[in-house]
Amino acid sequence: MELEVTQEKLTFALSCVSRVASSRTGLPILGNILLRADKTQLIVASTNLEMAATHHVGAKVIKPGSITIPAKLISEFVQNLPKETIHLKVKNNQVYISSGKYTSTINGTVDDEFPELPSVNKKEAVSYTLTTQDFKSAVSQTIIAASSDSTRPVLTGVFWHSYDSSLYCAATDGYRLAEKKITKTSSDLKAITPTATLQEVLRTIKDDTTEIQMLFDETQVTFLFDSVEVTSRLIDGNFPDYRQLIPAKTETYFAIHESEFARITKIAGLFARESGGGITITVDSDKSTVSVHSVATEVGENTSEAEVELGGNSGSVSLNSKYLTEALSVMDSEVVKFEFSGKLAPCILTDHTKSPNYKHIIMPLKS
Amino acid sequence: MSRAVWQSVLDEVELSVSRATYLTWFKNTELVELSDEELVVSVANIFAKRQFEVKFNDQVRDILKKQGVTPKNIRFIVQSTGAQKQTVSRETTVQQQPIAVAKPKRSSQPGSSLNPRYTFESFIVGSSNDLAYTACQAVSKNIGTKYNPLFLYGGVGLGKTHLIQAVGNEILRANPEKSVLYISSETFVNDFLESIRFKKKGFADKYRNVDVLIVDDMQFIAGKEKTQEEFFHTFNALHQANKQIIISSDKPPRSIPTLTERLRSRFEWGMSIDIQMPDFETRCAIVEAKAAMTDVELGRDVIEYLANNIKSNIRELEGALNQLLAYCEMRGIEPDIGTVEGLIGNIRQSRPQHISPKQIIDKTARHFQITPVEICSEKRDKHIVTPRQVAMYLLRSELHLSFPKIAQELGRKDHTTAIHSVEKIERAVKLDMLLREQVASIREKLYV
Repeated sequence: MELEVTQEKLTFALSCVSRVASSRTGLPILGNILLRADKTQLIVASTNLEMAATHHVGAKVIKPGSITIPAKLISEFVQNLPKETIHLKVKNNQVYISSGKYTSTINGTVDDEFPELPSVNKKEAVSYTLTTQDFKSAVSQTIIAASSDSTRPVLTGVFWHSYDSSLYCAATDGYRLAEKKITKTSSDLKAITPTATLQEVLRTIKDDTTEIQMLFDETQVTFLFDSVEVTSRLIDGNFPDYRQLIPAKTETYFAIHESEFARITKIAGLFARESGGGITITVDSDKSTVSVHSVATEVGENTSEAEVELGGNSGSVSLNSKYLTEALSVMDSEVVKFEFSGKLAPCILTDHTKSPNYKHIIMPLKS
Repeated sequence: MSRAVWQSVLDEVELSVSRATYLTWFKNTELVELSDEELVVSVANIFAKRQFEVKFNDQVRDILKKQGVTPKNIRFIVQSTGAQKQTVSRETTVQQQPIAVAKPKRSSQPGSSLNPRYTFESFIVGSSNDLAYTACQAVSKNIGTKYNPLFLYGGVGLGKTHLIQAVGNEILRANPEKSVLYISSETFVNDFLESIRFKKKGFADKYRNVDVLIVDDMQFIAGKEKTQEEFFHTFNALHQANKQIIISSDKPPRSIPTLTERLRSRFEWGMSIDIQMPDFETRCAIVEAKAAMTDVELGRDVIEYLANNIKSNIRELEGALNQLLAYCEMRGIEPDIGTVEGLIGNIRQSRPQHISPKQIIDKTARHFQITPVEICSEKRDKHIVTPRQVAMYLLRSELHLSFPKIAQELGRKDHTTAIHSVEKIERAVKLDMLLREQVASIREKLYV
């Protein structure tokens, strides 16, 4: 194998796939990156048996071939090279990399044991093409609500599904729930994608990428964008039927600037560290203000008020400031709407528009 | 026969590939179907599927050919292992209402809600629980035929839940097609109430169509007449069909107040076994095993100190160990005997340090429903003598009082009376199960 490739392209591909490569599995070769040159391009790939990332890098191939090589070393070496053409050559399982005055030799391993990378069959799969913007906001808005508790695997992913001829994604950890309506669809879909895969896609996707294609089949999903392909297993199981939890009607609501709401929530959160983040939101319908209150028994307490546009009855509710802060940080619009009904029913946070596409549900704290 | 075919393939592959390769790709595979037309094998994930299709297909085919099996088509499907599906969440945060956790019950999710952590392998056997352990293993091998029902009882934190869940997990491992239902008696009560309230169908189906029914903490059913009746019918239906029933409780059937007679007799029908407090050696083994799980090596003296100081409850023992490990990790120090002494001192302070002799006498008297005056009196009625002797025994075992002092506390002049009483109860406790429970229950009351 022998080829020439630019440093920038190779660095990007290597840094992405080296994040996926994992030395923690039982198979040592998975700590390696696969380099494979065919006639016109270099394929850089790695897998941790949960997901696989493949980058197609344009290169001037002199002689096709393939090799695997320890992920960390090569990616750090190439990263530090100047932005010039890199010459890469494999001989006797050794990889010779040179660029200008820099040369190095890294011992590789033949690719016999490296797993074949799975990929969704395009013909049989359910396919969606989203704009990068849509994809990024949908994923980053829902992924925060996914659980990290591995005892309930279905909650550790983001649930992509079709409902009422729209494509939705949703995630919940049992205490909060985020749901995003993405686009119209005519196909049927129910799939839970692991959060690690989505995070990887989010990290890899470049700002100038315009579109991302998602291909789902029964057991796996492939994300295609630019010259990158990320394939992952799907999480097996049934996602809970969460729609019945979203209250149809609420007794109290107010609309508030996102930044102001975030500020008073964060301040109240400072005083709520002892009580596990519990803050109380009180709405007084006579005064058209909302106040946020928190108490730290040994430190002090805090009350912040904000003027808002109110609707419905007076009331108050306690919830975890961390959840509210996280939810506010991913809202799209400047003005958000917060709805609740008494101390026990779930609270809803949405954009303050007629038909919001994003809903964030937070369960109240029982005080 | 068909399973053997795939096993032979695995055996042969194991010899020809590296250990890591074998463990990664071949270990969790299983034969699903074998006919002249087709051989279907389930594999762990999409990566394994692809690997089999591309790399191992020829090898598998060759080995099968040697066995004389030549299916036209070999197909690989992805099937996650049963254990994953049956995982259940154990809620740790109680102050919040879980959204999705409470719901699945209604949407009739499959799965037995067993915790896969509880297995026979992770259970530490000692003389106090080996009978229960053996019985549970026997049940998991002879479902519904050996001991039915199996009734386990013992105090809190002694491993009842671990054992009965281990039976469930073991049964599922060996026979994935069996349906195992693990519930607490509270769930049963709730389901039953719901079925009445909303006139829901399916209650009987849920409970009567299982192969193994495991009910935890049966004592909570006490006093609920209608529920008991429903459970009685469920019990009969299952027992009639030779389905296994496993029950745990903190008391033996006959000591659960307000348990109806017909349920009581049924519970006593099969095998009922008590789990005792673990002895010193078992406690040491538990501490050692738990520490090993977190890759920490503890000194002999530390282990013995822990085992010696926390005697009554395994959960508390684990708690103390966790506290120790966390403390040492945070400060970056090695757990040594000094640290343990400081810490355990802290833990134990939360308990009443001093139980007075008077408290023991009072509580013993109350347990036997006589007055403290009676117990210290001259009377020699049988219903007073035994409590008196038990009180003496407890004064000796809990407070290590001297015999003359014990005699004095109970208004006796002669310390030989005390010696005789203590020895008598010591002997009796080993032979008489009823007395043993009574002593244990008084002891428990002393420390609450």
